[in-house]
Amino acid sequence: MPEIFIDNKRFEYEEPGKVLQFMLDNGLDLPFFCYHPSLSIPANCRQCIVKAGMPVFDREKGTFEVDENGDRVIRFFPKLMTACSLDLADGMVIHTHHTDELVKQAQADNLEFILINHPLDCPICDQAGECPLQILTYKYGPEGSRFEHKKVHKPKAIQLGPRVILDAERCINCTRCVRFTDEVSKTHQLTIISRGDKNYPMTANGQTFDDPYSLNTVDICPVGALTSADFRFRARVWEMNQTPSVDITNGKGSSTWLWTRDNLVLRVTPRFNEAVNDHWMPDAGRLAYRKFNENRVSRPHLRPDDSEQVRTSWNNAQLTVLEEIEKVDADDILIIGSPHASVEDNYSLRAFFSSKGVSKFYFVPHVVPGSGDGFLISDDQAPNTNGVRALEFEEINDKKLIKLIETGKPKLIVILDDDLIGRTSLTMDHLKQSWTVVMATNHSETTRAANLVIPVTTAAEHTASYVNVDGRIQRTVPAKETLYTNRRLNLEMSMGRLDHYGTKFDNWVSDSNRVDCIPAWEFLVRLDADRDTPEWVSSRQILDEIADSHPAFTGVTYERMDDENGIQLKLEQVSEAKTV
Amino acid sequence: MAETYTFDAKDLAEIKKLIEKYPEKQAAVLPVLWYAQDKFGHSDPSVQKLVSETLDVPEAHIRGVVSFYTQYYEKPIGRNVLDVCTCLSCHVSGGYDMLHYLEERLGIKAGETTPDGEFSLQSVECLGACGYAPMLQVTNDKFVNHLTREKIDKLLEDLRAGKEPEFESNPMPQHQKES
Amino acid sequence: MSTDWKSYKPLLVPAIPDLHEIKVYEKNGGYKALKKILSDKKKWNPANVINEVKTANIRGRGGAGFNAGLKWSFMPEPDGKPRYLACNGDESEPGTFKDRKIFEFNPHQFIEGAIIAAYAMQIEVIYVYIRGEYRPFVQKLQKAIDQAYDNGYLGKKIQGSDFSVEMYTHMGAGAYICGEESSLMESLEGKRGYPRVKPPFPAQRGLWGRPTTINNIETLANVPLVINNGAEWYLSIGPSTHPGPVLYGISGHVNRPGVYEYPAGMNIMTLINEVAGGVRGGKKLKALIPGGSSTPPLRADMLDGVSMDSDSLRQAGSMMGTAGMVVLDEDTDMVEVIWRISYFYDHESCGQCTPCREGTGWLQKTLRKIMEGNGEMRDLDILLAICHGMEGRTICALADAAAWPVRYSIERFRDEFEKKCKKTVYAVA
Repeated sequence: MPEIFIDNKRFEYEEPGKVLQFMLDNGLDLPFFCYHPSLSIPANCRQCIVKAGMPVFDREKGTFEVDENGDRVIRFFPKLMTACSLDLADGMVIHTHHTDELVKQAQADNLEFILINHPLDCPICDQAGECPLQILTYKYGPEGSRFEHKKVHKPKAIQLGPRVILDAERCINCTRCVRFTDEVSKTHQLTIISRGDKNYPMTANGQTFDDPYSLNTVDICPVGALTSADFRFRARVWEMNQTPSVDITNGKGSSTWLWTRDNLVLRVTPRFNEAVNDHWMPDAGRLAYRKFNENRVSRPHLRPDDSEQVRTSWNNAQLTVLEEIEKVDADDILIIGSPHASVEDNYSLRAFFSSKGVSKFYFVPHVVPGSGDGFLISDDQAPNTNGVRALEFEEINDKKLIKLIETGKPKLIVILDDDLIGRTSLTMDHLKQSWTVVMATNHSETTRAANLVIPVTTAAEHTASYVNVDGRIQRTVPAKETLYTNRRLNLEMSMGRLDHYGTKFDNWVSDSNRVDCIPAWEFLVRLDADRDTPEWVSSRQILDEIADSHPAFTGVTYERMDDENGIQLKLEQVSEAKTV
Repeated sequence: MAETYTFDAKDLAEIKKLIEKYPEKQAAVLPVLWYAQDKFGHSDPSVQKLVSETLDVPEAHIRGVVSFYTQYYEKPIGRNVLDVCTCLSCHVSGGYDMLHYLEERLGIKAGETTPDGEFSLQSVECLGACGYAPMLQVTNDKFVNHLTREKIDKLLEDLRAGKEPEFESNPMPQHQKES
Repeated sequence: MSTDWKSYKPLLVPAIPDLHEIKVYEKNGGYKALKKILSDKKKWNPANVINEVKTANIRGRGGAGFNAGLKWSFMPEPDGKPRYLACNGDESEPGTFKDRKIFEFNPHQFIEGAIIAAYAMQIEVIYVYIRGEYRPFVQKLQKAIDQAYDNGYLGKKIQGSDFSVEMYTHMGAGAYICGEESSLMESLEGKRGYPRVKPPFPAQRGLWGRPTTINNIETLANVPLVINNGAEWYLSIGPSTHPGPVLYGISGHVNRPGVYEYPAGMNIMTLINEVAGGVRGGKKLKALIPGGSSTPPLRADMLDGVSMDSDSLRQAGSMMGTAGMVVLDEDTDMVEVIWRISYFYDHESCGQCTPCREGTGWLQKTLRKIMEGNGEMRDLDILLAICHGMEGRTICALADAAAWPVRYSIERFRDEFEKKCKKTVYAVA
């Protein structure tokens, strides 16, 4: 197998590749800014510079030349090389800052150069704390600067587009953002303008950076030049907790991180998942943070008679539902599952009402044909269409649903988290003739039409799985406490610095952001009051049961989903086209 | 309100010829920008947009190109642009004196345009006329070499009268000696 | 060699009136080399043409001085897909103004050389990249190209042979960096002129990803001479390590500035004193920048016996570059000159690589501080440290070109720099 020597240590490699990526894959450190594994390699920041050489091959002898000590004679390249653009070669010798003073000096020189025109405004910069320039300067940079002249001034706080703000002075011209719009989102909306130290990224005159993936440029910007209009000045990264999750605004289900502080989701960023979204996610998915925080249903809402909804106790809510079920025949109950709800919630809905004699379960896919882009935005607006399908809910369209209501005249309708009125499958009038229970995360037109609203947890508050348009099942982890969960007790929840060290006296620590809601499955378990012990105490148990009983889910566990970044299910219907 | 610019049928025929020189349309960006600037006098955003649409190349790309090359004017500029070389050979041969004389004559600083829009003055990098320093170039075209105050006076007078300078040939001194 | 320079008859730009007209060029032996090749393609197969040119050791006239024939031999075997020759007429290194003489006075010799180069490398499309500031000269070249088309030297089936080649001019628009070969290719492709990372080299992946060779205009104008007279004859002109005629562009403080054609290896003092008529105003010589602004300046006392060829100049501590010689007299303020050179590189850095983007500005600002009398001794150390941080750390050589003049003038004119720095007197409490 071909070999390479890095800082006098031997490594073997199988596939051809670049030295920097090979080093990163092997856990070796080398500073860099412009390199990104999913973009082209311009080698322009010059930070990953190393000393590289090749052994001298003696053609006559057919062996490598050796010196008096028996070591291979190495011919080094006359200049230092950028590791990002350097191809691995058999026998290659690399010296980094660990074993070569010149390389160490070159890396420090380079950082000094980068910093001479950089504003050094870390205390007011949003990137501070997660800034490669800041981190690498501490690690590899010079101790001070010898630059004593006026810095180059460039435009600041420019609204590049609806979601992205530019501070051109902070830009170090790595061109990652420009390459992203050229190579990944392909909107070609950005360019570098001017030249030399007056360079900075810009749109065409009068054009707005409204790329549906624009916020990815904020993620990959190695400095605070591009910041999120939504998130800037909201929180310091070290005050936040970071929790792995899944984009629930769309059928693609990009892997995400939820960033929370004091039980508010403050931003959503993409989490690397080679099988789904690489390093990227659509801007729309990031707006989900508002869905997690705002307009939430907190505490059950009941409408006595025809009056306004009023808040009621969980106990009363449970008893009321049971009463309504008792009143009617199983045939008069219409159960509507939801592609917006998890596999576990849909399953428990089905399980509970099966036990009450209901035999038909429906769901209405939420697809807007033509709204997808073939990349990370799908026509499917829901994260779990394939999951509901795999649980054998009957797939019906709006027309069929209306027909079911108009001709079947169900006395009781139960809707799992799905704003059917808001997305114009139904109108208010359709629900008027029935007693309607809606389990919902947020207030909507559908909840307003309901007789009883059960507040349920969002993907930011529960552990649950979702099957995306390609049939990949992924799961969420609770990021945000409800009134009934506790970060310290739930071992899955992450504990940030504030959770460890914050006190009630810190002005951003409060209980006000904890919503009075429970997972839908938990409410259904509570309804089953006849049992001595609850059927399930966790969504994990539900998933295990599904895995045992549904062939499509065989072998699926949370552990495997975590380890493998989701699991590809073998579904009959997986393509997005068939969901239309 | 920005003016809108268009290419007519004749322009488009010329541009088609320019595009045909290359295997890819994008390669025609520089020549088509030149063509547009010759026609409209500058390469401001509306001209950039026109070129972008004509060549089907992203507008941001065109802006990047226009701002990279110094000879494209990003906004409307004087009718006569006087590019005075102040680099190396011209510098040591009095290029800045000529620039300052022009500043004085025109009442503007380098980088500015006279209020009547007649002249823009720029201090530029080497124009490749080092042996004939100091010198200037008029609106990206003719070189005026061996500048003196008198020659500048004459040039300004001519340009005001709408008379473009003639091409100045600088034969090799060897030829002159021999012929 | 320097003894018979007075009797030398120019070969690249001969003193023939109206030579730019194709009829005059033909009458004086023009396009003979091309016809010679095309009439005996067996003897003059592409490999043999490359060999002849390689043997003649035409050193690239654009600054790097690389053997042109050797460069041609790097082109891979044809695979039926397009490959390109790009002729570099960007000529923007301050102090350089020679190729314009070819465009104006002898364009056909360059065109002929380019056609032969295309033949040798089995190329069918030639682009001539010329700086935008040379618009009048582009027009002159275009006229000559049109004539060549009309007379069957360009286009389909040249001179009745099965060899076809197209030649197009492409005008830059004001960017020094586009003289760097990979940046030139980017510019030809309609982009910002950012130099490309090498490898891959142009012969592997050049214009539009296809094999490409880039040659300087003057280099190509030498080719017909080699084909007509043979490599041996060519090697006899000037030193064999750097043979052939050279266009010397002499500017600055001399009595008769201009472009002169003489064999390579001319004695520098002969060029200054005899060819260019000596230092202007009877002043003493202070320094010479021998080959364009990026080549390290030489002090007058370093010029004894030094001649204009790569070996001699390397020994003297500089480079041949483009043979654009800038002569500086005793009254020249070296700090000011070096500041102006730095200003040029600051202005022209494309901004891609960190050390160059930031370093050129830092050099310029520091030199300006010294020039304006605010320098301190430690500024000299800082300047040298900046140079060290720039040299060899970037994709192209602009950073080196910016650093060398500074590094070597601090070394060679240190007293002048120190004098300016010591002017600063701090009040001592």
